Amino acid sequence: MEIIVPIRQVPDVALNIRVNEGKVVEDGVSFVISSWDETAIEGALQMTEELGGEVTLLGIGPERVSEALRKGLAMGAHKAIHVLYEEGQTDSFGYAKIMAKVMEGRNYDLILTGKQAQDTDAGLTASMLAEFLDLPQVTNIIRFSDLAVDGMTLYRKGDHGTEVIGIKLPAVVTVNDSLNEPRLASMRGIMMAKKKPMESLSPSDLGMGAEELGLQGSMTEVLKFEKPESRKEGERFEGDETETVPMAIQKLVSEAKLAV
Amino acid sequence: MPKVLVVAETKNGELKKPTLELLSLAKSMNLQAESLLIGKEVSSQADLLAGYGSGKVYVADDAGLEIYNTSKYTSLVADAVGQSGATQVWITSSETGRDLTPRVAARMGVGALSDVTELEIDGDNITATRPCMATKLVQQCRFTKDGLRVISIRAGAYEAEEASPETADTVSLSIPEGDSRVEVRDIQVEESNEIELNEASIVVSVGRGTGGTEGCDFVKPLAGEMGAAFGASRAVCDAGWMPHKHQVGQTGTVVSPDFYFAFGISGAIQHLAGMSGSKVIVAINKDAEAPIFKVADYGIVGDLFKAVPVFQEEVTKIKN
Repeated sequence: MEIIVPIRQVPDVALNIRVNEGKVVEDGVSFVISSWDETAIEGALQMTEELGGEVTLLGIGPERVSEALRKGLAMGAHKAIHVLYEEGQTDSFGYAKIMAKVMEGRNYDLILTGKQAQDTDAGLTASMLAEFLDLPQVTNIIRFSDLAVDGMTLYRKGDHGTEVIGIKLPAVVTVNDSLNEPRLASMRGIMMAKKKPMESLSPSDLGMGAEELGLQGSMTEVLKFEKPESRKEGERFEGDETETVPMAIQKLVSEAKLAV
Repeated sequence: MPKVLVVAETKNGELKKPTLELLSLAKSMNLQAESLLIGKEVSSQADLLAGYGSGKVYVADDAGLEIYNTSKYTSLVADAVGQSGATQVWITSSETGRDLTPRVAARMGVGALSDVTELEIDGDNITATRPCMATKLVQQCRFTKDGLRVISIRAGAYEAEEASPETADTVSLSIPEGDSRVEVRDIQVEESNEIELNEASIVVSVGRGTGGTEGCDFVKPLAGEMGAAFGASRAVCDAGWMPHKHQVGQTGTVVSPDFYFAFGISGAIQHLAGMSGSKVIVAINKDAEAPIFKVADYGIVGDLFKAVPVFQEEVTKIKN
């Protein structure tokens, strides 16, 4: 089974993110693979461990993206494609167009990726890619079963329950982090990753002109980033619960207008 | 002339509150709005959509539409857009909406802005504010090219007014075949008569501090007594103590109730990202260092097993 996992390299959102003049400050930022994409890599590895085949990673962005690709290779992925992209701000539509170009002439049974990227939290790219490639999609999966090279059963977290969906491959599938616990790269994995094939492409290698890249190739743009008004710690109650709880509730009713 | 098509959502044959929020928003902005009603045995809801300000209501009512189906729903939105001449499509940022929004946008050859919490509209010029980086930041975005505007809006970002049904002007849509490569077989529903997380004004939520299913069940009745929805952290759901339907968080349900009570929840980033929109946060946790206390308006450092019975007593007093 040939699986491609598009991954996004993002600032580590567990750490402090700073904004300067409406832009995210990259200096001193620790970059990681977006968490849901790690889940996708793990899912792809489990599938190829069961059925055979290879997991290819796809990263789009500046030079530093190759570090994220190496981390994914260290987890066990077999090869990587890096589209060296420095054309500036691009939206999901633009990214999906680049991915579609990469897929041209390559045959993957499955495109597996995170349900959203941790920097934008937009959750748009994979579905747009599926439409551009005329592939079926199932998003937000929490489980898979009946794995076969031409299809599988997917369990999707929907609004009213778990949707059970049979899908024929090739397809685009996105994952919810409940799907699995991604493996950590071993020392051996890290050493081996250095020797695994990493194909480097430029947008012009893909036959893409300036009008398809950056802001020109996008349908939306980010005008600015801001810190939202942050919540501050309010009042704290410590001590015997038979005293603290009534006190807190009294305040909730009188100050915060709690009504039950 | 801008014209909004609201994609309505239903549960058990009734319109969901976020749909009413979207129509109320369109009305408050003096925007012409129509709506698309998809599901099984949902046609009766058309009149309520009309009462909320929908002009025409495009209806696709079929057994095969009961469970969400990307291909069928996308085709129906495209059909309704074509027939209505809508210049904007508004979808709730639910699990259905998150799947549907980008597919619709790409089908129509345009981009999308998702999970919007604030909209500024001037004709079809739209500036949207949306959270990003696990809600640590917000970004202000706009559409840069002409064309259909496809937007998904967070449930609870806007208020729904009160309105009553009026006779609707309905248009029946032909039911699409769907993609033969996808078979939506079934939906596994956990429980059904509880208040929905993303519509509740109070949420009572449990975390790892409950120690297991029994601990969660110990807290759960309090939710009922408060008229609250019952939520759980990802840790609790992944451990199998509570069904995933209760999960609050970035990959569960994002909630923005008036009051969020967090029992035994430490406050992991993706959980905070899922409830930081709550008006008032109340945290109950044994660990004084738990991150949740940094965002709690009222923080009770204590044992939730001792606190819950006291909560129940106090709630009973308030109700009487």
